Amino acid sequence: MVRSLHVVILYLLTHLGLIFFMFPSNIIASTQQGHWLPILIGIFVHVLFLHIYMKGLNYFPGENLISIFSGIGKGAVILLLVPVLLYFFIITLITVRAYSEIITLVFLSFTPLWAVTLLLLIVSTYVAKNGMETVLRTGLMLAIIFLPLFLFVFILSFQNVDWRYFNPVTPDLNFLTSRSYYESFFVFSGGFLFLGFVQPYFSYERKYIIFSALLLIPFFIFSVYIPILTLGQATASVTFLPFVVIADSINVSWLMFDRVTLFFLLSLISFMILYISLVMCKTILIINRYVPSIKPVHLLYILSSLLFFLCFLIPDWKDVEKLFWWNTLLRFYVFIAVPLSIYFWGVRKRKGKHETI
Amino acid sequence: MDPIVKEIRSILGENNDFFLQRDIVADSAVVLLCLDTLVDMQKTRVVLQKLTHGLLSQGTSTQDIWNVIGERKEGSSHKVISAIKEGKLVINIEGTNRCILFEPVSKMLNRSIDVSTNENVIKGALNSFNENIEINIGLLRKQIVSSQLTVNTFSIGNDIPKSLAILYINGKVDTKIVEKVKSLIEKNKKMDISNIQGLSKMFEFSTWDTISKFNSTELPYNASQSLKRGRVVLFIDQLPFAIILPNLLWDMFIVENDRNLPQPLMIALRCLRVIGMLIALISPGLYVALVAVNPEVLQIEIALSVLQSREGVPYPAIVEVLIMLVILELILEAIVRLPKSIGPAITMVGGIILGQAIVEAKLVSNLLIIILAATTIGNSTLIGAQNFTSIRIYKYLNVILASIFGVFGLVTGFVIICAHMASINTFGKSYLHINTGRSEY
Amino acid sequence: MKLFNKNVIYTFAILLITILPLTGCWDNKDINHRLLPVVLGVSKIENEYEVIINLPVSNAGKIESRIVSFKDKTIAKAIDTISRNLESRVDLLHVKLIIIERGAAEDGVKDIIGGFMRSREVSPKALVAISDEDINVLFSKLKDTIGLVGSTTVDFFEKNAGWDPDIALTRVWEVYRGIHSYTYDVAIPLIRSGDEFPMEQIGSAIVKNGKMVDQISPDETLLYNIFKGESSSGEIEVMEKATVRIVNNSIHHKGSFHNNQPFLKSKIKLKVVILETRGEPSLNEIKKELNQALSERFNIMILKTKENKADIFGIGQFFRRELTRKELKNWRTKYYTNLKMDIQFNVDIQNQGYLITS
Repeated sequence: MVRSLHVVILYLLTHLGLIFFMFPSNIIASTQQGHWLPILIGIFVHVLFLHIYMKGLNYFPGENLISIFSGIGKGAVILLLVPVLLYFFIITLITVRAYSEIITLVFLSFTPLWAVTLLLLIVSTYVAKNGMETVLRTGLMLAIIFLPLFLFVFILSFQNVDWRYFNPVTPDLNFLTSRSYYESFFVFSGGFLFLGFVQPYFSYERKYIIFSALLLIPFFIFSVYIPILTLGQATASVTFLPFVVIADSINVSWLMFDRVTLFFLLSLISFMILYISLVMCKTILIINRYVPSIKPVHLLYILSSLLFFLCFLIPDWKDVEKLFWWNTLLRFYVFIAVPLSIYFWGVRKRKGKHETI
Repeated sequence: MDPIVKEIRSILGENNDFFLQRDIVADSAVVLLCLDTLVDMQKTRVVLQKLTHGLLSQGTSTQDIWNVIGERKEGSSHKVISAIKEGKLVINIEGTNRCILFEPVSKMLNRSIDVSTNENVIKGALNSFNENIEINIGLLRKQIVSSQLTVNTFSIGNDIPKSLAILYINGKVDTKIVEKVKSLIEKNKKMDISNIQGLSKMFEFSTWDTISKFNSTELPYNASQSLKRGRVVLFIDQLPFAIILPNLLWDMFIVENDRNLPQPLMIALRCLRVIGMLIALISPGLYVALVAVNPEVLQIEIALSVLQSREGVPYPAIVEVLIMLVILELILEAIVRLPKSIGPAITMVGGIILGQAIVEAKLVSNLLIIILAATTIGNSTLIGAQNFTSIRIYKYLNVILASIFGVFGLVTGFVIICAHMASINTFGKSYLHINTGRSEY
Repeated sequence: MKLFNKNVIYTFAILLITILPLTGCWDNKDINHRLLPVVLGVSKIENEYEVIINLPVSNAGKIESRIVSFKDKTIAKAIDTISRNLESRVDLLHVKLIIIERGAAEDGVKDIIGGFMRSREVSPKALVAISDEDINVLFSKLKDTIGLVGSTTVDFFEKNAGWDPDIALTRVWEVYRGIHSYTYDVAIPLIRSGDEFPMEQIGSAIVKNGKMVDQISPDETLLYNIFKGESSSGEIEVMEKATVRIVNNSIHHKGSFHNNQPFLKSKIKLKVVILETRGEPSLNEIKKELNQALSERFNIMILKTKENKADIFGIGQFFRRELTRKELKNWRTKYYTNLKMDIQFNVDIQNQGYLITS
């Protein structure tokens, strides 16, 4: 357990940061009743691909994703690694832009968007500067300080819940045609590719990752259900960030602070900073492999400046949603293709070894 | 006079404490050379005479006597001169170019083993390290009576040679670190080092680190425990503390004397220190954030009382906080420097100025004084003076970010500090490394 | 050292970047340069909103309150104009009580509450109350009697201060939920400034889909709270014979659906203690009369709510299993009016204090 602690914590933190912002409104918009079904399907798909991915990585001990793909051949690189690279880049852009918008909306109404984006990018760049190992260790330190705070507010948010809103239970299958349901998959696919990049630094045991994936299930379910159980489907579908509204309405009279929303959201934002720096680190690793002439640190600065300027090209939220939707197709491709391909090549490699012996 | 003596006299002769005298020892004519201020000549001559007399009466030949009483050097005056400078007595046998280096009775130039001045001990051994490197090594050997304890001494420096000693326990230490340390010392043997910054340069650490990669302690007990945990201890001659490499985050909170208390109390004390550090880092920033940028977080009664206390203060919260922090730093620094006679007076004046007058004059709100007191007290619960000062710098980052971005800036500042700590590593071992004995994080 | 050393360039670049944030402390505004009202009053006059706020001002060490009002097309615009004409910016961050005038409530609070929920400045857990008289009069009377400073006004509704189970407790988000929900309506406390007391609670208003439709008395509000399970320490008077205090209550509901008609069977168990008697009533008498009085009162209330098609008890929630969402949309109009309720009160006298009654 202790050897994989850093990896497990990073896995937990990145998923928690992603879940509580956009996921509830996507699921609530995708169906009217029986929300448990879309959530469970998503979780099942996630755990399945996670398992395949890790099993495949197991066949290549000590190697990270880049070396595996380049070991297979140029075809694999072009078909798989380049989309992954593109996917990482777009995801970073969307995340930085969306979360700066949310921060401006919720805490700092007068601060211009570019200042918040600048701060987010500077901090993420600093964390990513020293490599994967720093990101993993920072994750552990942040978890020690911010996870208890987050859990405290999460438990308090059950204050106003009316369990009868759970009914009607029977799910409605038209969520499968709803666009926002497929957009909600960013929560499931955004966080696990990093497992292919940690290998040289930290080893981990598979069962602990699966165990923590199962540990996340209540958070997935309740992030959608607490708004529904408190406000009802009709009201929750007209709110932009339902969980934030719920956090705002928690009434704790014995605490020194009036609005606990702030602490909850800020814990999540710190997890997101970690996520952004993780994705940046991975992007730099991939680029550095094929353009070794520029030092990785310089690449990182170029990447951050590029992201900062691109954020100016996305003037409002509608464009963010558009970008989100375009990225969804790329996301599904990466989500399905990468684990499966690694698994198949791993099996083939083992078979090949057996045959030569 | 022999040419070697003439040479030595030409180099050292200007010093008024240079001692040169002819004598008769073991039935031969000799010239005694030494530095008067380092050698107690009277006692040394008595000892020398007794020794040679005894050996002569047993029937040893003069040649053998010279070989027995000291080291023989011939020809080079360089080594003889350095021996004189270190405090040895040189016996030159007249008519030859040979010198014998004899270990004399030195003058009592060392402090006795005393209580430590900079570290407070609650329940534990009180003796502290000395300036003399040999006494220090001896104290450690008394603490760890083991054959695995290895001592390596080096003499470093070109113009001003100093002796540097490395100690480690063979089975427990990380061999990578020891090898790296030794190779770096060998490589940079010519550097003149007399302080920790010089040591950092020798080990090729970056000069702009805010967190020192060395830990230092004046207590042999602490040093011996860190040896047992696999660290390397260094001594520099004439510096009265042990330098421990590598420095880890947990050294701020964990001191070995805690283990003399029952375990639940020990855990509670350590948690208290962690809370102290968090308060020291966060409080001023939190004040600025809650008062200026995000006042919705406070309960209405607190908000109203803060409003009242800030009535009439001419400048914004951030300026107020920065001014008070700087004044506080000035007072802390002044208290360290002042002689013991004036010190208490200044503390009283500082307390009155900060506490009463500045609030009455409406220059600062009184809530801020409480916050600052909490910060200083929190800071002082940490162990080790150098840790104390690193944290003092980080809270400024938090204050500045909090004044622009509110609580979000505070969290960002905190993330930056965590990332900074996570990125430091000494010879491959991270700053955040935890050694639990069974497995390593 | 060369002038264009790498380090020098980097340092300059970083210094330039750090100048940028110094260009503005956008959100930085000291707390003593903000005005923090705690109570906000809204009324509607000829299609325009009149907004009244109390501002705590610091006057020679003490905090007093000043009342300011303004009329404009939207509430946000009114607050903005007030800020413009005062020495500090008005911040609605600490508003804890919103008082809406009866006229505006009967017109519909959807826009008002929607505006508050959207802007995020006013916390969704602020309390809502409806004022039965002119807001200006109410505010000036409150200022004269209790000073309207800080949270004294809000203490009327605080559970650990002046709250009583006769008073309904409704927050902004609950009203908002009531506007959109298929099954929930809310009861908002109705207040008026009285001669004896600064703020008299005269009952609650039934608000259906954001519009005030009817009014219930404090006793009926107590029943409403009992039904919701929040009635500890409420006191009931029994037919002029005794007054008892409720110390515990538990409720069991059972809903069923036959022939398009909803049935609800509820058993409410109350544990009471006797506080004061007039004459010498026996325990059984008290119990019987209490059961009867409560059931009657409850049936009257249900009739009233059915008339107005407002489901303040949230009974629709019990039938979520039996009805689909499409059918639930018509809960208030189609099904609620046909609801048959069988409510049984079971009163248990826990103790009688220091004196014995037979």
